[in-house]
Amino acid sequence: MIEKQLPHDRLNFLKISVYFLSFLFVLKVVNIQILNYSHYKGIAEKNKTQIISQTAPRGRIFTKDKVLVAGSSPSFSLVYFPVGGISAQYAENLAGSLSKYLDVPLDKIRKRLFLAVKKGSPVKIAENLSDHSMFLINELKTIYQGINIITEAQRFYPMDGFLSHLVGYVGKISPGEWKYLRDDKDYSMDSYIGKTGIEKRFEKDLKGKDGGIYLEVDSKGRLMQILESKKSVIGSNIYLTIDSKLQAAAEEGLKATGSGSGAVVAVNPLNGAILAFASLPDFDLNAFVRGAANKNFENVKEFNYATQGTFPPASTFKIIVAAAALETGKIDLKEEIFCPGYFDAGSRVFKCWKKEGHGPVDFYKGMSNSCDVYFYNLGIRTGPLNIEKFAKAFRLGIPTGIRLPDEKSGNVFGPSRRARKKSYWFIGDTLNLSIGQGEMLVTPAQMAQVIAAVANRGKFWQPYYIEKVVSLKNHETYVAMPELLSSVNFKTSTWEHLRESLKRVVLEGTGYSAAIKGVDVYGKTGTAQNPHGADHAWFVAFAEIDGSPSEIAVCVLVEYGEHGSSSAAPIAKRVIEAALRNKLAWQSDSAAARQVEPKEKAKRQIGIKSQSNGEDAPQETGTSGAMEQAD
Amino acid sequence: MFLQKSKIKKSRIDWFFIGIVAVLLTIGTISIFSSVVSLPNQLKIVRTHLLALPIAFIAFFIVWNFNYQVFQDQWKIVYSAMIISLTAVLFFGIADKGAQSWFRLPFFSVQPSEFVRIGLILVIANYLDKSMGKIKEFSTVLIVLLISLPIFFLLIKQPDFSAIMTMLPIVLIMLFCAGARLFHIFAIMGFVFITVLLPILWTMIDLNPELAQNSFINFFYNFSHVNWYLAAVLAILIFFTYLLWFVLSKFYLNIPKLYFVGIISVVTLGLFSGIAVKKQMKYYQQKRLEVFLSPDTDPKGAGYNLIQAQIAIGSGGLMGKGVFSGTQAKLGFVPERHTDFILAVIGEEMGFVGIILVMSLYIFLMRRVINIAYLARDRFGYLVNCGIFGMFAVYFSINFGMLLGLNPVAGVPLPLLSYGGSNLVSTMIAIGITQSIYSRRYALA
Repeated sequence: MIEKQLPHDRLNFLKISVYFLSFLFVLKVVNIQILNYSHYKGIAEKNKTQIISQTAPRGRIFTKDKVLVAGSSPSFSLVYFPVGGISAQYAENLAGSLSKYLDVPLDKIRKRLFLAVKKGSPVKIAENLSDHSMFLINELKTIYQGINIITEAQRFYPMDGFLSHLVGYVGKISPGEWKYLRDDKDYSMDSYIGKTGIEKRFEKDLKGKDGGIYLEVDSKGRLMQILESKKSVIGSNIYLTIDSKLQAAAEEGLKATGSGSGAVVAVNPLNGAILAFASLPDFDLNAFVRGAANKNFENVKEFNYATQGTFPPASTFKIIVAAAALETGKIDLKEEIFCPGYFDAGSRVFKCWKKEGHGPVDFYKGMSNSCDVYFYNLGIRTGPLNIEKFAKAFRLGIPTGIRLPDEKSGNVFGPSRRARKKSYWFIGDTLNLSIGQGEMLVTPAQMAQVIAAVANRGKFWQPYYIEKVVSLKNHETYVAMPELLSSVNFKTSTWEHLRESLKRVVLEGTGYSAAIKGVDVYGKTGTAQNPHGADHAWFVAFAEIDGSPSEIAVCVLVEYGEHGSSSAAPIAKRVIEAALRNKLAWQSDSAAARQVEPKEKAKRQIGIKSQSNGEDAPQETGTSGAMEQAD
Repeated sequence: MFLQKSKIKKSRIDWFFIGIVAVLLTIGTISIFSSVVSLPNQLKIVRTHLLALPIAFIAFFIVWNFNYQVFQDQWKIVYSAMIISLTAVLFFGIADKGAQSWFRLPFFSVQPSEFVRIGLILVIANYLDKSMGKIKEFSTVLIVLLISLPIFFLLIKQPDFSAIMTMLPIVLIMLFCAGARLFHIFAIMGFVFITVLLPILWTMIDLNPELAQNSFINFFYNFSHVNWYLAAVLAILIFFTYLLWFVLSKFYLNIPKLYFVGIISVVTLGLFSGIAVKKQMKYYQQKRLEVFLSPDTDPKGAGYNLIQAQIAIGSGGLMGKGVFSGTQAKLGFVPERHTDFILAVIGEEMGFVGIILVMSLYIFLMRRVINIAYLARDRFGYLVNCGIFGMFAVYFSINFGMLLGLNPVAGVPLPLLSYGGSNLVSTMIAIGITQSIYSRRYALA
C-alpha cells in the first residue's frame, strides 16, 4: 500500500546515481594510487626528506716523489633549520647575533634566515667558519634552536702557490657550468668544481661522491629525525710526473732572479714526462677556495709563462740553424769565418753581440761563443728555406699538446710563410732568422721539447704531467702512455757535432755557469731582445752521466733576465743537480760550484725593432733597422 | 523490481547493517589515532574520541529502542529545540575557526548544527508525510523551504556554510523522494545555483582583479551590490521572458505562464540571495571557494591542502604504507587530517585496498538505508530514511570528491570515520532511527 503511494523509482534513481558517482571515484583512485603511484610517492618522499649535502673530499694530488700538492681539510658550515612558528623578532635577534659572531653583514644573514623561514627548509647561512666563530656559535646553540654546524671537506693546497699553474684551483660552480651539470646528481648549486689546470681536466676523477644527511622534516621543515647519513666517498688520487725537488729548485731559482718572473720546464727526454713546470709569478691556490672571504682575485697572476708566454728564441735557435747546416752539409767544421763584430749585408750592417768581434771563428767556437756573424754566414749558406723547414721539424709554431688551457703555438717565420702572405723576403730576414730574432716566437715549453729532442737524438714526445690516476680501491683508472709525436732522422755525425758544440757551450762558452762536476751538461744560452725593457734570458740544457741516455732536459726563461749565461743558466744547473741528486750524492761541492762568479760581463745592445714583452704581442717585421744580438 | 520482504531476514536487528557500522567505526578509530600521533593536542583528541564512542553507542541504543514515530508526534518540540539551540549558540557558544558554533561543556564541546541536521530530516519528513496529498503543489515545496529557512538563517549567522551545504541537498533529496514535481525542485536548484554561483564569481573577481578587465565578466561584477545595474538586468530579463512567452503563444505553444513566472522569480530571488550570501561570506570561505575553482593557484595556501591530500593518497599505492607509518599526514603536509582529510590518512596508510574497502562499506551502508526505507511500515519512516540516505550520500560525495579534487574543501567530515564527537553521536542517532524503523517494520500503525 505504501509502495503505491510513494515514488520508489526516485529513490532507486538516487541509488544508481551514487553507484555511478562511486564508479568515478574508483577510476580516480585507481588513477592516482595505482597508475601514478610512483609519481606521488616521489613527491611524498621529497616532501619529507631534506638533504644536507656534505662535500666529499676531493682526490689528492701528489708529485712523483709522493709530496702532497692538493689535499682536503675539514671545513665547518652553519646550517639553520627553521623551527616552527618563529617570530620576526626572534629571527631578527638571531640574525643580529650571528652577524656579530660570524662577521658577516647583517643584511646577508637576515636574507638567508628569512629565506629559510619562508621556505621552511634548512639553509646554509655561512661556510668556512673560523675556530673562533665555531666557539661562539656553540654558545648560541643553547639560546637559539635550529642552529647546526655541519662538517664538510674543503680543498686545501698545503704549499699555497706550488705548481699553481699546473694544478689549477677549484671554485663555486658558475651559472654556465650549472647549466651543463644540473642533471648530474653529483653536483648541486653550491658545489665546488675544478676551474683550471688538473682540477678542471680531471674533475670527474677528483670529485668523489658527496655524502649527505637525509633528514625527515615535517611540513614546516622541522627536523623530525635523521633518516640516513650517507658517507661521502673520496675522489681518485692523481700522481704527477713532477718531481718536487726539481720543482722546488726551479721555483726557488726563478724567485731568486731580479724580476722573479719567467718559466722553467724540465722534461725527461726519454718519454716526455714533465719533471718540473714552474711559471712565476705564481698565485695562492687556497685564495680561490676561501673564495668569498678574500675575493681579491685581480692581483692573481694566472698567466702561464711556460705555455702562454711567447718570446723570440734568440740564440737558442742557433741549435736548429746548426742542425740544419750540419744535416744539409752546408758547413765545413774546420772553416774559420772572421768576425769583425759586424756583418755587412749591403744596405745595412748587422752587428755581432760582441762589438770588438770574435776574430776567426770555426763551428764549435761560433756555437760556444754564440757568434752572430758566424751564424749570419751559416744562415745564408744553409738558406732560409732550410732553416724554416728545420724549425718546423723541431715542432716550433705548433702547440706542444701539453694539455693546458690556451697554449700558444708561437710563430715560425721563413720564406715560404712570407710567400704565402704574398710579401717579400729580404736578406735581413735571413740574418734575423739565423739568430732566432725577428718574427720567430716560441714558448718555453716548445724550447724544452726542442732540447729534449736534441738529447734523445730526434724524438719528440708528447709532454705529459699526469703519471696515473688511482681510485679509492687502488684501481689505476688512468696511466700515462708516452706518445711519440714525431721524430727527425739526422745523420749520426749531425747529432755528434751538435752535441759536441753544446757541450762546449757549457765547458768553455757562454753556458759556463751551468757546468756541473762529473756531469756532461749540454746547453745553449739565449738573450731575447726586448724593446720595452731588459732583455729576456734563455737557457736550454740537458745532462748525461757517463754517456748513459739523458734523463733530464730543461728550458729556463727569465723575463728581464738580461743574460742567459748569468741568470738562466744557474737555474738550469740547480734543476739538473736536483734531477741527478741520487747519482751525484758523492759530490759535496755542488753547492759551491753554483757560486762561481761570471768571468765576464756580457754586453748588450738594445734592438730597435724586434719586440717581445712576454705577451703574445703583434710582431713587427725585422726587415728594417739593424738587428743586434747579445750573448 | 522492489525488494521482497520475505528476502530480508525477519530479525529485529539488522546485523549486517550494525556490522558495517562497527567496521567503519573501527577503521575510523584506528585512523584517528594514527593521524594524531604527532599532533600537540593528541591526548585531548584521543580522550574526546574515546568519550564520544560510548556516548554515541548509548545514544544509538536509546534511539533504537524509541519508537521513531514519537519524533513525528512531537515534531514541534524537535523543531523548537533546533531553533533554540541554534539561537543559543549565537549567544553562549564559543567560536572556532571563524564560526561560532560550539557549546562548551566540562569535558567536550557540542556542535548543535550536527544534531539540527537530524532534526531537520525528522521535521521535514513529518511535514511531507502530512501533506502527501498536495505534494505536487508548489506551496508544499515552498513550505518545506520555509521550514528550513530559519535554520539556514541561523547557520549563516554563525556562519557555518558547510552545514548549509550538507543540509540543503538533504532537503532537496527528501522532496525528490517524496514525489515533488521536478519543475519545483529544479526551480529551487536554479535558485540555489544562482545564489551560490554569483558569490563564487564575485569572489573570484575580488581575489583576481585582473579578471574584471574582461568586459563580459565585469558586467556580472557590476550587480554584486543592490544598485541600478541590478534593476536594469532584472527589467531586461522580465522583458525578454515576456517576449518569449508572447512569441511562443502566437505559435499556439501553450506553455503555462507559471514556468515563465517561475524562471523570473528564481533568477530574481537568486540574485538577491546571492548578494546576501556574498555579504555574509568570510575571507577564508572566499578563499576556499577560489581553491575549488583552481587548486593550483596558491600551492602554499589553501590549494596546498588539496594537493597534499592527493599526494598522500597517491603515495599510499596498492597496500598503503601501513597503519601509523604514513608520512604525509603525520608530518603535517595534510591539514585537518583527523577530521576533513581522514580519507587521506586512510589512503596513505591503508592504500588502494583501504580506500576501496571504505568506499564499499559506505555503499553497502547507503544501500541498507534504502532497503530499510522500502521496508518501513509508514510513509514517515520511508521519508526519514530517504533523508538519512541523503545525508550519507552528501557526506560521501563531498568527502570523496573533495579528496580527489572535485569539490570545494568545505570542512565536511566523513561520518563514522572522522574525528568529531558531535558528528559521531548525531550519526549514531541517525543510525539508531534507521534501526528503529527496521525493527518496527511489521508493527501496525
